Amino acid sequence: MIRTVLLAGRAGLHLRAASRIAEAAATLPTQVTVRTLDRKPVPADSVLSLLGLGALCGTELILEAYGDGAAESLERLAEFFAVDPDAVGA
Amino acid sequence: MTTNISGVLEPRSVRVHEIATDRESAIHRCADVLEEIGAVHPAYREAMLDREWAMSTYVGEGVAIPHGLDMSRELVRRDSLAVLRFPGGVDWEGGRVTVCVAIAARGDGHVALLSQLALILLDPRKAEILRSATDPEAIVAMLEADDEE
Repeated sequence: MIRTVLLAGRAGLHLRAASRIAEAAATLPTQVTVRTLDRKPVPADSVLSLLGLGALCGTELILEAYGDGAAESLERLAEFFAVDPDAVGA
Repeated sequence: MTTNISGVLEPRSVRVHEIATDRESAIHRCADVLEEIGAVHPAYREAMLDREWAMSTYVGEGVAIPHGLDMSRELVRRDSLAVLRFPGGVDWEGGRVTVCVAIAARGDGHVALLSQLALILLDPRKAEILRSATDPEAIVAMLEADDEE
């Protein structure tokens, strides 16, 4: 199952954002991978792998998960990429 | 042009024999070096500490990457990195740190540097050079070679 999301964070996928995403990914029922159009998929629960994507604001990210709970996992994780962690009130 | 590491790291900002009693003093040392090389306004130090207390900058592999906050980027005079080795280790939230890579960068350069650095840390050979090199030139050479890959 695949879900595409555009990175909302104006400052890009920085360490605080990546840490929150990796922490959330570790609690999901299935493993989720993330990739950009030009990079290989990486595990969403690895902070370093997420940083390695070098995703800037507006970058298209492709999330993938399979098996039981895949839809729920993608739904929950996509939300993190679609919200700007530096926005007031976020 | 993409910001790359060797473009923002000078040999004089690599320090291989640092000592710090705790996380706060390690960050002060990082700020000292960034200030010495003229990379940041003195107020950047406070932003680095604020950022650290908001959420640990430990990233794994014995490495922390202290940096300021988005709003402190105007305090950055010139995009720069500083590499400080603490051979005795420093207790950090998240793990024990033997290397700090301090980042001062504006705009999208920050994420570009984070990305390159993360890929280096995911490469066991390069991560080991960063942790164990006793010669600043060895670290600079590894990072320059990385830019060419």
